[in-house]
Amino acid sequence: MVFELGPAGEGAMRLVFTEVPQPALTRALLEIENRARQRFGSTLTDSVIGYTTLTLFFSASNLERDRTEAWLREQADAISLVGHPAHEHSAADLVLPVLYHPSVAPDLEWLADDRGLGINDVIALHSEATYFAYATGFAPGFCYLGTLPEALQTPRLDTPRATVPAGAVAIADAQTAVYPCESPGGWRLIGACPEPLFNLNNSPPSLLNVGATVRFEPINEADFRALGGVIP
Amino acid sequence: MNCLQIHKAGIASSVQDNGRVGTLNIGIPPSGAMDPTALLSGQHQLGHHDNEAAIEMAYADFAATVSEAHHVVVTGAPVRLSINQQHVTSEGAHRIEAGQTLEIKATNEGVYSYLHLSGGVMTTPQLDSRSTSPREGIGGLDGCFLKDGDILPLSAPDRTVLAADPQLSIRKPNTVLELRVVAGFQFSDFTDEAIKGLLAEEFTVTARANRMGVALNGARLHSGIASLYSEATCYGAIQVPPDGNPIILLNDRQTVGGYPKPGAVIRSDCLRLAQSRPGQRVRFALCSPDEADRIGWLEQHYLETRLRDAR
Repeated sequence: MVFELGPAGEGAMRLVFTEVPQPALTRALLEIENRARQRFGSTLTDSVIGYTTLTLFFSASNLERDRTEAWLREQADAISLVGHPAHEHSAADLVLPVLYHPSVAPDLEWLADDRGLGINDVIALHSEATYFAYATGFAPGFCYLGTLPEALQTPRLDTPRATVPAGAVAIADAQTAVYPCESPGGWRLIGACPEPLFNLNNSPPSLLNVGATVRFEPINEADFRALGGVIP
Repeated sequence: MNCLQIHKAGIASSVQDNGRVGTLNIGIPPSGAMDPTALLSGQHQLGHHDNEAAIEMAYADFAATVSEAHHVVVTGAPVRLSINQQHVTSEGAHRIEAGQTLEIKATNEGVYSYLHLSGGVMTTPQLDSRSTSPREGIGGLDGCFLKDGDILPLSAPDRTVLAADPQLSIRKPNTVLELRVVAGFQFSDFTDEAIKGLLAEEFTVTARANRMGVALNGARLHSGIASLYSEATCYGAIQVPPDGNPIILLNDRQTVGGYPKPGAVIRSDCLRLAQSRPGQRVRFALCSPDEADRIGWLEQHYLETRLRDAR
């Protein structure tokens, strides 16, 4: 695989694979991250996986760039996508219940109209796919999931909403996600998940983590309320 | 309960210590004092050794009453300080008696000031830090900026060992603040024109500046990069959104982002930028990664030496 290594500011290094994002690539990044934790111990203070990148942050003045770069090069050279099975559509690590209804999903009807689909077609398309968690960020517990079926892919809102409620199931381009907490947001909202996605008292605090596979399961209003969901 | 009753909180006051380490991969920024040198100075002067939290104030306009006697120190951006309506020097430690009121007002220099009380602020730590991350609702007092009427728990001030002021304050920046940049991320993908603009032009700090970052105004940098896969940001990252006005990401930044970045400003210069007011002129200059790491190491060494000498 083709990759580049470089700095990410003071005390940090960045590895980027010049490939399209794919689960096998993410699994390779997870593997290198894991080895880096073993190799560098507590001098490695943070690491962040992006769609095609791994960024390693070192405690001040503990980064020996030449040696670290040589080590990372070795790891990246040894990684091949062979031996990392492509993502299976059969079983998901996690199934999240979702109420797909205009009362909690202001863009659901718009999306169906825009695509010339029925609301049920949108629900079927969104809930039949298995998604892969490529990255965490934007907000604690917010996981970028892909790949959204092409028929549903749509750009972000021109003007983001000032407030998106916690649990909102959203789509943007080829991605889908659940907003773990109330925040501003520009993605289109097509459902609501009653399950809490982030709790600092859990370990790990986030229900969804990079490398996980997830599927959405349509539920009705009664189940949504029973699971703790609130309809405004 | 030993506490601080806040009468006037000001526009953006929050509980801050050195911030969090190791939380980027769960999407939580480090937060922490925007001017960690000022924080360290106050901690040192009060004999604090456990990263005790202080109150960070942006453009301070703060008033509060203590329920018990404490020593107090104000560091960072210079302020006017009064205790029970008596003006006192803002330098060094003062003793404030139970029931007395502190008033802290910004002067015309710098942005972030720190109120340290002996024993420290005793809000409950989350993820090993008392620092407030307002967007995430983590740390501080209920995860929020401080409001008028808030009551902050304080530690018993029985460990106070006053030390001399180690004079760690950041010097007032020159007319033009130089921001040293480690090239990286998409540097080689930026158009030549954008890189030339970045390195040759002068920029000014805008009013769009807060704990997340500082937006600059100047040459519009058109990266020529159409789309990008979201990836880690970093402290000091120069983020270039489609409008071409660079934003320097700071303590409360989002941990990942999809905007192109030609590099990152080194820590030492970010602190000065954080303390700069709108209108401050800045220029970027390239710096090798090794040089950046060395400057980081030297500044750390310098701080430790000053603290040791002031003990």
